[in-house]
Amino acid sequence: MRAYQDMVFSTAARLTGNDAPAEDIAQETFLRAYENFAHLRASPTAGGWLKTVTTNLALNHLTRYRKRWRFFSELKIDDAEEDSAGLAYESAVPDTLLEHLGSEQRRAVIDDALRRLPEHQRVALVLYHFEDFSYQEIAERLHASLAKVKTDIRRARAALLPMMLSAGIAP
Amino acid sequence: MNQDPPDTDRLEGLLDRTLRRLPLRRAPRTLEARVLGELNRRASQPWWRRSFTHWPHAARAGFVATGVALAGLVLLGGSRLAMALRTLEVAGPASAWLRRVAAGAGAAGNLAASLADAIPQGWLDLGLAAAIVLYACLFGLGAAAYRMLYLQPQKPAGEFR
Repeated sequence: MRAYQDMVFSTAARLTGNDAPAEDIAQETFLRAYENFAHLRASPTAGGWLKTVTTNLALNHLTRYRKRWRFFSELKIDDAEEDSAGLAYESAVPDTLLEHLGSEQRRAVIDDALRRLPEHQRVALVLYHFEDFSYQEIAERLHASLAKVKTDIRRARAALLPMMLSAGIAP
Repeated sequence: MNQDPPDTDRLEGLLDRTLRRLPLRRAPRTLEARVLGELNRRASQPWWRRSFTHWPHAARAGFVATGVALAGLVLLGGSRLAMALRTLEVAGPASAWLRRVAAGAGAAGNLAASLADAIPQGWLDLGLAAAIVLYACLFGLGAAAYRMLYLQPQKPAGEFR
């Protein structure tokens, strides 16, 4: 468990953008792993299995919460942030990003930036850049059109850039 | 506005390189203890309080057999009861008891109907409207509590503003 707990927690936290449910999801993942311990203990793909289960649990969690709270809490946020994200990036794309920071500092800055993205953009971006999903796989997993997934990811990138460049964080 | 394809591609490449090099987040120290605690809690539960898939084979087979038998009994008993009700005239003390129950239920229904007739329609509408408003208030309170107590603590401290 110790070998994988950071990976499992990171995956859940980046997808949900929230540490509390991420810890719940990580716990559930390891409980399921324990139930399948006989198969996993000698399996070379245990890490992949854990990552898949974590991703599925996180996406299920997000779907449940979206349905429950969308009307009050997310619809307005999404719309407002969608507009600003739709402006795209105004500054030129630099050659490097946050290179002057240590890896832990860089991680904290980027994880905070990811949390600030609207959920549908963050999830698509995390699945693409961290989990190696293709656009098509993301579209199928999120029950969205391919065009929407591409747009969400492009907007997420455009929104991340100024967040990282601002406040003197980037060189 | 700068959305030239070369810049879009450069941004994708830059972010891809940056994100893939990120170290993992450290799991909370409490995670391992939580998992072990939950495993211990589950292990200490008697078998009949665990999920069905963890029941012993004999218990599972017995449960299914009992379920099937009960379903059969309900179906059979239902048809027998219907037949018995049709022949109440010739039945003994049990049918008298059933008749009293039926008469009581009928009287209660009549009382409820006459009460509903006695209440002015405006009052009923008002009551219904009040129930809807209270429900909406409760829902709004829940949503506000969710946003204040659940979402806010996770928002970053404003490093980018």
